[in-house]
Amino acid sequence: MATLKMQNVTKQFGRNVIAVRDFNLEVKEQEFLVLLGPSGCGKTTAMRMVAGLEEVTTGKIFIGDRDVTDLPPRKRNVSMIFQNYAVWPHMTVYDNIAFALKLKNLPAEEIDRKVKEAAGLAKIEMLLDRLPAQLSGGQQQRVAVSRAIAVNPDIFLMDEPLSNLDAKLRVSMRTELKAIHEKAGSTTVFVTHDQSEAMSMADRIVIMKDGEVIQVGSPDDVYHRSRSIFVADFIGTPPTNFMEVDVRKEGEGIHLVNSHLNLLLEPALAKHLNTYSKDKIILGVRPENMLLVSEDEAALSASCLVSEPQGSHQVVAIQLDDSIIKVIAPASPTILPGTAVHMSFKQETLRFFDPDTTLAIND
Amino acid sequence: MTAASPAKRFRDLGSKAVPYLLILPVVVYYFLFWLRPVLKTLIDSFRTAAGGFTFQNYIMVFTDPNFMPALRNTAIIVVFSVSLEFIAALFLALLINRKFFGSSLFLFVAMIPMALPAVAVGAMWLTGLTAHGWMNSLLYYLNIIAESHKIYWLTGSEWKLLALIIVVDAWQVIPSVMIILLAGLQNIPEETIEAGYVFGGDYLTVLRKITVPLLGPTIQTAVILRLISAIQIWLIIVLLVGFSRMPVLVERIVYYHEEVPGLDISFQMASGYTIIVSLIVSTAALLYLRASGAFGSKKEAAR
Ligand SMILES: Nc1ncnc2c1ncn2[C@@H]1O[C@H](COP(=O)(O)OP(=O)(O)OP(=O)(O)O)[C@@H](O)[C@H]1O
Ligand SMILES: [Mg+2]
Repeated sequence: MATLKMQNVTKQFGRNVIAVRDFNLEVKEQEFLVLLGPSGCGKTTAMRMVAGLEEVTTGKIFIGDRDVTDLPPRKRNVSMIFQNYAVWPHMTVYDNIAFALKLKNLPAEEIDRKVKEAAGLAKIEMLLDRLPAQLSGGQQQRVAVSRAIAVNPDIFLMDEPLSNLDAKLRVSMRTELKAIHEKAGSTTVFVTHDQSEAMSMADRIVIMKDGEVIQVGSPDDVYHRSRSIFVADFIGTPPTNFMEVDVRKEGEGIHLVNSHLNLLLEPALAKHLNTYSKDKIILGVRPENMLLVSEDEAALSASCLVSEPQGSHQVVAIQLDDSIIKVIAPASPTILPGTAVHMSFKQETLRFFDPDTTLAIND
Repeated sequence: MTAASPAKRFRDLGSKAVPYLLILPVVVYYFLFWLRPVLKTLIDSFRTAAGGFTFQNYIMVFTDPNFMPALRNTAIIVVFSVSLEFIAALFLALLINRKFFGSSLFLFVAMIPMALPAVAVGAMWLTGLTAHGWMNSLLYYLNIIAESHKIYWLTGSEWKLLALIIVVDAWQVIPSVMIILLAGLQNIPEETIEAGYVFGGDYLTVLRKITVPLLGPTIQTAVILRLISAIQIWLIIVLLVGFSRMPVLVERIVYYHEEVPGLDISFQMASGYTIIVSLIVSTAALLYLRASGAFGSKKEAAR
């Protein structure tokens, strides 16, 4: 086990593709870190540079206190789970797992013990004699996991390891991978573009966009204290609702106003806007932080467009001018399309964003 | 029900016959243009000039003083040219597969010999290998040999000629072997190879334990094709040194068929040689396929 540090790492392909830009990251011992971002944002590239499969253009990479920037992959002591498993089709499961151990010239009994131990963790002891072609996708994934555990790596890299599995298996493998991580205690970097996967597995999440780190933090941090409109929109299903509002200072109080809304801010929140000089902000509010209330308590009223029952709750879509906001409401009573909906906010959860920089104002 | 059933039976019969009808043209084609000539050659090889049955043709073939040398030369050419071509082609394919700057131009240049017909290749090397040919001129201009030390490529020991023939043949066919191997290499998913590096392999280990085994079926195809065509080398030999100087099996067929029509059983002897060569080709192919594990179960093949 070891820490991983990436210092000002940049990767450029050809003349004008910059896949990763001035990337700084520290992964703690035994941490489960998730790289999250939309397709093409450079997650895979960042991970491949750690593995040594891609050279850095500039910057340094440290594993523990070893500078591995110029080492070939085999000298880095990392292991990797690839998106398409990349198990070797001409070797049995046993030989797949034993490959790296044999190259280390370990004694046969030790190899045997480690292979069985790793296979046990991923629950494939009974498949050791099979060839990959005789396994299901999920089982091949377990082989890839065993192969990666068996070498006892400093860093464990996983590039969207669950994306080829069906929805149900994906969720149960999530739990298992997390459990394996708890047992093996390996420092892990996990890449995904699925935010719910990231939320459920990560100790910390790194949110990337266009090759740059946008925010690093615990799942709670990135969810409740999103640093920019991009993060607030990317994390959460349904995502954060955004409304452009005017900031009106009237006497001591601050009101947020648009054609549907008139909200007097509580002092704890209002103080964040004291030094704010522009007259507009983007208000961000999570769907579960909007409450359905009676008409006279309402800060915002509009009519229901459609309601999606989800069993435990319902998602109510509401038309506001040309945008739609979504609200999570209790499962009953069912809200019918066309009925008036009156809402207020849990004020302490509101996020204010600067419309020009898109960054959060209240941090 | 009684009215429906004959119609139904007819329909069933019709649908059963459809597959056979569809492959009928191929069957007819094979019968007319493939099986018939094979059978005719087989029969001719057991015939006297007058048309009776005889083993004499085969006895003549086996007692032909050139038969054993032809067999030996063919075997040597096959063993050395197939290995040489395979190794060189694999090396080139691995090189080109790395997609370095200019690799597609390199690929194009490397493929040129493939585009030349064997006769042109023979003529080209013949003009090159005579005492005043371009090979000696080249070596002279490169200051490797002096003017008075011309190399007489086409004279001298049989071994020298054999080596020369193997090299000239390799020059022409390496590109085609390389193309097959390159196609195979490009079919191996990149992640499979990269996993080899991540899990502790250096270049040679990954090549030996992952790339080459995964290339297995492709290598089998390439080698079997080369094996068969190496047994059939003759034109280049005849163009370079003429008939009977460096006898090989197929050259014998052509020799009896084309060069000694005066002999009244030359045609039958050519048929005899043809049958023997066919047997050797099939046996060699079978032996190779068995040795390389193509007949085993998938599991055995993988080991
Ligand atoms: N070998 C390459 N040559 C040129 N450009 C590349 C190469 N590999 C990646 N890129 C570019 O770098 C950027 C980042 O790619 P990367 O594969 O890291 O994205 P990603 O975040 O993993 O996306 P996804 O979620 O779709 O896997 C993309 O714009 C991609 O087109
Ligand atoms: Mg990727």
